[in-house]
Amino acid sequence: MVIVALLAFVLAALPSMLSTYWITVFTAVAIYAVVALGLNLLMGRVGLVSLGQIAVLALGAWVAAKLLFDTSLPFPVVILLSGLITMVLGTIVGLPALRLTGLYLALITLMMAGAITVVLAATDFPNGGPGFLAHSESSLGSGATIRRPAVAETDPAYFRYVVVTAALMFLVALWHVRSKAGRAWEAIRQSEPAALAAGVNITLYKLWAFALASFMTGVAGALLAGNVGQLFNYQFPTRDNIILLAVVLMGGIYSIWGALVAGLLFRYLPALLDTWGLPADLLTILFGVGVLQVLLTAPAGIVEQFPKDMARLGRLVARGAGRVVGGVRRA
Amino acid sequence: MPSWEEFRPFIVTGLALGGVYSLSGVGLVVLYRATGVLNLAFGAVGAMGALIAWELINNANWPDGLAYLVCVVFGGVVTLLYGLLFGPPLAGRDPLVKATATLGLALILLGAMSWIWSDKARSMILPTSNENFMVSDVLVNYTQVIGFAFGVVVTVVTAAFLRYTNLGTAMRALANDREITATLGVPVRRVEAAAWLGSGLLAGVAGLLLSNLVGLDANTLTFLVISSLAAALIARLQSLTVTLAAGIVVGLVNALITPILSISEYRDMTPFILAIIALLWLSRHREVRIGRAAG
Repeated sequence: MVIVALLAFVLAALPSMLSTYWITVFTAVAIYAVVALGLNLLMGRVGLVSLGQIAVLALGAWVAAKLLFDTSLPFPVVILLSGLITMVLGTIVGLPALRLTGLYLALITLMMAGAITVVLAATDFPNGGPGFLAHSESSLGSGATIRRPAVAETDPAYFRYVVVTAALMFLVALWHVRSKAGRAWEAIRQSEPAALAAGVNITLYKLWAFALASFMTGVAGALLAGNVGQLFNYQFPTRDNIILLAVVLMGGIYSIWGALVAGLLFRYLPALLDTWGLPADLLTILFGVGVLQVLLTAPAGIVEQFPKDMARLGRLVARGAGRVVGGVRRA
Repeated sequence: MPSWEEFRPFIVTGLALGGVYSLSGVGLVVLYRATGVLNLAFGAVGAMGALIAWELINNANWPDGLAYLVCVVFGGVVTLLYGLLFGPPLAGRDPLVKATATLGLALILLGAMSWIWSDKARSMILPTSNENFMVSDVLVNYTQVIGFAFGVVVTVVTAAFLRYTNLGTAMRALANDREITATLGVPVRRVEAAAWLGSGLLAGVAGLLLSNLVGLDANTLTFLVISSLAAALIARLQSLTVTLAAGIVVGLVNALITPILSISEYRDMTPFILAIIALLWLSRHREVRIGRAAG
C-alpha cells in the first residue's frame, strides 16, 4: 500500500535528508496530524464539531509535563496516562453536553476552550517548580526542559518516535472506523432519529467519539511537550482552535487521511512560507477562504478533491497531447 | 474579603462592559433569528473597524468623528457583503454549518488585521473617555455611560422595531419559517439584507466601544465575541430582554470578581461558566430533535 511505503520512507530516509529545523517542523506536522485526526473523526464520522481541540491539546501537554517533571515514569507510560486523563476530562465535558444539538454543542466546546485557556493563563505550565502546579517563576530562566524518552533524545530519533506513535493513532482510528463503533457513528451522522429507531445507543457512541478524540489529543499533547521542551501559553493561541477546524475541513473530513493533509497545512505550510519570506498571516486568510470554499462546494475536502482535480488535469493534458501528436502526424 | 468601597469602581466598569456585551448580544440574536446564522465573526468585524478608525485618525489625520463613522459603516458593509454573498447559498443548511462558515470570515479578517497592523499595542481614546464625573466617590467616564446606555437603548429600540414596524415583523416571520414567509410575498432576501446590515452596524459600534473599554488589540477584540455570545446563549438566542439582563450580569460579575484576589486571575472565566451552566440547565429536558434544529 502507498501509505506503508510512505511511512517506511519517512521513518528511514527523511530524517537524514533534512536539517534540524525541518525535522522539528515535520515532528510538529505529525503531532498536529494526530490532533487533526481526533477532530476529523468527530466531524466526519459523527458530525460533531469541537471548537476547542487546541485547548484540550494544551491540557494534555500540561498533564504530560507535570508527569514528566514530577515522576520518573517512562515516556510511553506518560503518553498513555496523558491520553487517558485527557480522555476522562473530555468525557466529563462531553457527558452533559451530548443532549445539545450540533450548534449548541459546538458553542459549549468553545466556552470550555475559553475556560481552559483562562485557567492555563493563570496556572501556567509545569517547568520543574514545586507544588501541584509544578510551576515556578524563577526557574523560567534556568531552562528546565521536559525530558524525552531515553531511546529518542535526539531530534531525528524523536521524530521517528513521534511518527511511530502517530501511525499507531491512525491505526486505532482505522480500526474504529471499520468496527461496530464506526458503523454506529455513520448511522448517527446520517440521521439521529433513524439510528435511535434502529436501536443504536446514541449517547454511548457520541461519548465514545468524544473520548477517542480527547485521548488522541492528549497523546499528541504529550508528544508536543517532549518536542518543544518548554511549554508556554503563547504556543496555544485561541485562534489556533479555529485554524485547526479550517485545516481539518480543507484536508477532508470523510477520510482519515485528510488529517494528514491537515497536519501539513497546519505546520508545514507556515514553515514553508517563512523560508520564502512571506507572512504567515496570508495563510490565515487562505484558511478562511478555504473554510468558505469547502462548506460551499467541496464538503469532501482536498483528499477527495485533489485526486479528482488531478484526474481532470490529466485528462486535459492527455487531450492536449493527443491533439499535438495528431497534428504532428498529419503534418 | 474586599470592602464595599473597593467594589464600587468595578460596578461602574462592570455595567459599562455589560452594556456592550448586551449590545453585541442583541446584534447576534437578531441576526440569528432572522437568518439562522450565528455570526461568530461579529467581534472580528468590530475589531477591524476599530483598527481602520485608528489608522485614519493617527496616520491619515482624519477628524475623529468621521473615523468613528467609518468604523461603524465598515462593520455594516462587511457584514452585509458577507450576508449577500454567502447567505443565500448556505440558507438551507444546518445552523452549525452557517456558523462555521462565519468562522471562515473571522479567519480572513484576523489574518488581514495581523498582516496590516501586526500585533503592536495601540490605543484609541474616544473623546468621551476624557470627560468624567463623580458618583459618590467613584470616577465615571462618559464612554462607560455610553456603553451601558447603548446596551439598554439598543435592546429597547430593537425590541420595539421588531414588534411595531413592518420590517421587524417580516424579520420575526423569517425567524419562524423562511419558506412560508417567502410564499407570503415578503421580500426575503431584502429583509435578510436588512438584518445583516443592522447586525453589522452594531458590530462596528461594539468594536469602537470595546476598543476603549478593553483595549485596541485584534485578537482580544475578536474573541471577546465569546463573552457576548455567552449573553446571547443564556437568552437561548431568542429573547432580547434576557440578552440585556444576561449581558449586564456577565459584565458585572466579571468586574466584581476583580478585587477578590484569591480568584481574581480566573475572573475572565465568568462568561464561559455562566453560559455553560445556562446551556446545560436549559437543555435538561431536551430530546433528540427531528428536522432542522430550531432556535
